[in-house]
Amino acid sequence: MALFIIKRIGWLAFVLLGLCVITFTLSRVVPGDPAAVYLGSRAKPEQLEAVRLKLGLDKPVPLQFAFYLRDLLHGDLGSSLRTHRPVLKGIRDHLPASLELMFVAITIAVLIGVPLGVIAAKRENTVSDHLSRLFAVACTSLPSFWLAMLFQIVFFRWLGLFPIGGRLDTVVGLTNPIEHLTGFYLFDSLATGNWTALRDSAWHLCLPAVTLASYSTGLIARMTRSTMIEVLREDYITTARAVGVSEKEILFLQGLRNALGPTMTTAGLCFAFMLTGTFFIELIFFWPGLGTYITNAILLNDYPVIMGVTLLMALFYVSVNLVVDILIALVDPRVRLK
Amino acid sequence: MANMYEPLIWVSPPGSAQQFEPALAEKWEVSEDALNWTFHLRKGVKFHDGGSLTAQAVKESFERTMNLKKGASFILSPIKAIHAVDEYTVRFELKSAAPFDRIAASAYAAWIISPASVGQPGEWFDGGQDAGSGPYMIESYKPDEEIIFKKFDAYWKGWDGDHFDRIVVKIVKEATVQEQMLDAGTADLGNRVPIESSRTFNEKECCERLSGPSFMNYAIHLNTAIPPFDNKALRQAVSYAIDYEAMLDIGLGGLGRVGVGPVPFGQFGHDENLHQYKQDPAKAKELMAQAGFKDGIKEPVIFTYAAENAVEKAIAPLLKENLAEIGINVEIRPMIWSAQWDMVKSGPEKAQHMAALLWWPTFSDPYETLYSLWHVEEKPAWNFAYYKNPEFDKLITKAYATPEAAAAQALYSKAQQILVADAPSVFLFDVERPVYKRKELQGIVINPAYPRVAFWYGMHK
Repeated sequence: MALFIIKRIGWLAFVLLGLCVITFTLSRVVPGDPAAVYLGSRAKPEQLEAVRLKLGLDKPVPLQFAFYLRDLLHGDLGSSLRTHRPVLKGIRDHLPASLELMFVAITIAVLIGVPLGVIAAKRENTVSDHLSRLFAVACTSLPSFWLAMLFQIVFFRWLGLFPIGGRLDTVVGLTNPIEHLTGFYLFDSLATGNWTALRDSAWHLCLPAVTLASYSTGLIARMTRSTMIEVLREDYITTARAVGVSEKEILFLQGLRNALGPTMTTAGLCFAFMLTGTFFIELIFFWPGLGTYITNAILLNDYPVIMGVTLLMALFYVSVNLVVDILIALVDPRVRLK
Repeated sequence: MANMYEPLIWVSPPGSAQQFEPALAEKWEVSEDALNWTFHLRKGVKFHDGGSLTAQAVKESFERTMNLKKGASFILSPIKAIHAVDEYTVRFELKSAAPFDRIAASAYAAWIISPASVGQPGEWFDGGQDAGSGPYMIESYKPDEEIIFKKFDAYWKGWDGDHFDRIVVKIVKEATVQEQMLDAGTADLGNRVPIESSRTFNEKECCERLSGPSFMNYAIHLNTAIPPFDNKALRQAVSYAIDYEAMLDIGLGGLGRVGVGPVPFGQFGHDENLHQYKQDPAKAKELMAQAGFKDGIKEPVIFTYAAENAVEKAIAPLLKENLAEIGINVEIRPMIWSAQWDMVKSGPEKAQHMAALLWWPTFSDPYETLYSLWHVEEKPAWNFAYYKNPEFDKLITKAYATPEAAAAQALYSKAQQILVADAPSVFLFDVERPVYKRKELQGIVINPAYPRVAFWYGMHK
């Protein structure tokens, strides 16, 4: 097991280095002068020259890359060209908002997707199976930005049930400010007993989280259904039925446990995908997360931010994969032995 | 910025009796040779950090900006020395004559900051600190999310009458979302709704659209250094080929004015009597033939625009169509802004043939616009057209050093006549800046000299 993990971590480092090379090269070969971004739109030639020297842009690109790597190993991701704030701080400010949204969304996806899949598998080819298929296909195929706007129109404009966007109501933010512990509003307000803010931030989370969860819900439901059907046809299930194990126990203990492997992989990948999936949703619900942060950066080719966020996302994606693999290896010894 | 900081004087909105109105300075005067400008400061003005406005504070503010050498500090380059004559009088001594009143009213590098903050590095301000004397100050700041401003109790104009105690700025990029918030009343003021909604916005019961000139304008610059646009008749043909009204409609939903010369309507230096090109394909074709392109230009000419600019993106296909009508084949290339600028600067041979540019002045004087965009430059920074005309240069330099407004205007008009006749650029349209608001919100002033500012102090419900 230890060897398995070490091998996977070795791969991880290799992937990240490769990614560094590619993003750095890409962001530096596309035309556009970073010094111009740094100074804003009315810079004079001599100011541009000074900034180029200051940022080391006069050096050859491979050397710049070496400097970047050196700083990176010291935990320094550089500073944004646009805002001049350190990228690491920018990520720290924006990441909790995205993660909170993702955690809530994946929870919703699993809580709805898994039971839906189990029921569909149990009642294969009945009306409830067809309905659940329709629901799942709708979930995966409706574009999230469209769904987001639909929710806004229905739940904000027509029904007035949910806020249109943002993380917290301004008035609540002023009267019941959330103490900053982790940046996760739900956790911070819960930990400090700030019930008003807890209620308000949960309320703000609903629409964006459901939107974000929709794709994963559909995928998890379909995945659970198909593996469940396979498992339910296994001999040991028939045996269990024969010896009189209750149907509930067969479904949720014998069946689901064995079907959970692929579902878990799917959920893990969905979670990792969400980090990029939030971009549209953050834009529409003006959610101040990583998506908002990098969208602004991409529009200006603010390369330190693009690099930093890309690296973080790759690291996140690869790590989630790793964790999922380890979890599966723990659940299923066959994977370990291979 | 303009709600937290104040300059010495403001440029008045169009239609005012005076060109300028007092802010931190109550009165000001200029010496006959326009080299010495004396400002008499308002007494009893406090900064947000408790400091007081004095001549020394003004001197240090300007010197700080000049020493930073960043951003728009170049507009202060005519300053030779700043003298604090007494506690409330400050005198600016210039190297050469310049309209310092317009410089002092700039929205970019002429804010007065409290003396205590002068030594602070730029990062201190990036961190959400402020040190102005304006009516509002920052209460809290969450990057990419919201900024809350609260009133500054000791503001020199006082808080009698109807004013807001707090202003909440939510950062909402999606135009459709802004519109919904206005409709529902969760926002009182917005700066962007989808262009289709903008046209019919005044039909709403809850809301209305205001608009006013902005000093921003769009032009297409032709590379005059290389063929084919080194040919004056051909450039004029291009100016006659464009359907200006349709451009304005597609680009801005009609919110603006077809451009008359390079200086936007309402700004000092604008001349309504300049020759106006109108779409006239027959005349354009005649000029084409005169230029020696009777059969049109098959080899594509390259047109670039800033990909992030929705207005330029919208007009690009129409430009292609308009020029195709007179036989010029245009290849459209969207580029991110800094890349487009790099291409312009890469030398006349490698530069694009045509480039779209949105321009606005750093301070409200035509000299900066005319100088930056069309003055002879060895290595162009902003002279997108690679335009060279010593006579034009001479006229604008002379106009800048002429303190008397009518005389300066005459010189600027003459320079612009030359420019329009040479047609190095197609002057598309001047932008009107829209503001979308709830009907109950009152007291909004749109001042084209400060196109990105909503002045909150005068607003009330």
